[in-house]
Amino acid sequence: MVELSIGVAGLRTAVFVRDPDVATVIRERFGGFLSSGAPAWRIDIRPLAGERPFLEGVHVRRDGGHDRFSVKRHDFSGIVDLGARTAEVVLTDPDRVSSDVSIESFLRVVYSLALVETRGLVVHAASLMRDDGVYLFCGPSGSGKTTVARLSTDAIVLSDELSIVRMVEDHGVCFGTPFRGELALAGQDRSGRLVGIYFLHHGRRHAVEAVRPRQALGRLLPNVLFFAREADVTAEVFRISADLVEAVPCFDLSFQPDPGFWEVIRNV
Amino acid sequence: MFETYVMQSPRTAWRVYDGEAVILWPDDSTLNTLNSVGTLIWESADGKSPLSAIVARICEEFDVDPEQAERDAMAFIAKLRARGLLTVSETIQHVP
Repeated sequence: MVELSIGVAGLRTAVFVRDPDVATVIRERFGGFLSSGAPAWRIDIRPLAGERPFLEGVHVRRDGGHDRFSVKRHDFSGIVDLGARTAEVVLTDPDRVSSDVSIESFLRVVYSLALVETRGLVVHAASLMRDDGVYLFCGPSGSGKTTVARLSTDAIVLSDELSIVRMVEDHGVCFGTPFRGELALAGQDRSGRLVGIYFLHHGRRHAVEAVRPRQALGRLLPNVLFFAREADVTAEVFRISADLVEAVPCFDLSFQPDPGFWEVIRNV
Repeated sequence: MFETYVMQSPRTAWRVYDGEAVILWPDDSTLNTLNSVGTLIWESADGKSPLSAIVARICEEFDVDPEQAERDAMAFIAKLRARGLLTVSETIQHVP
């Protein structure tokens, strides 16, 4: 049994792996987020050669208790227990050729559930750190997250795909994640105060327009990575999202693929 | 003469922006916005305020006659009750 410690957004997890090949995959995939210190969570990962279930998408359902959620996809099947702070997953890819993708996908779900109690969300967004804080660029695939990250050569890319935001007292804090986007690079294990949320739109020119909290909430929620559909947990995701758009200035950003968008952001 | 008391479902989440309530529908996770009269009813739906008092507030704030206000309020409440957002009782309700 191999034990690895992964820390993302301040949430440290002890990951136990029986298969040394899978342990190697985790070391390579999450290298920048391996950490030491007392873990708050425990995750057991087991490979199992067997028939892969035919499932489209990710299925997350409460199962066997208020805090227990089953998590299933075509390549894994797991349980997340928020009360016990444990998770276990069986990888069902017999060849384990895509173990890294399966493990990362399962961890995304675990973090999306586990962060709720700390007022945190996993968001489809690039996060870029500059001197005065972290800028979050939010949008679905194709909206320009990776483009914005690639064009920002003087910023630290915390993530070009999935960022974690947490409400800490009355302000937002953004964390990098190991979850990969088109740059195929893990983000940075760093964090900073969130100074602005920008909803990405392709445009003919660079333009920034302030968005009121009502509209910002409607734009943010579809970009929150959350798979459970139970009313109490989705209500909590709504409250965290609302706190966030009320605490952090929000904008629509139209941009062309050149670094000039930073100029209009600075001028707001 | 019976009184009616309405109470928000604890399963939902909501905020008021610019005088209009934005509610997360618990059954399909969609956002829905209430108009200002609906928002007044929603904010007053604490299980303790009688419907007659809510209707009186609507008449006062929106300059409508009591019969019309009561009819509209009842129709609105029935709609939200059908979606599981409100519970209706003839006695004071308490937060579970």
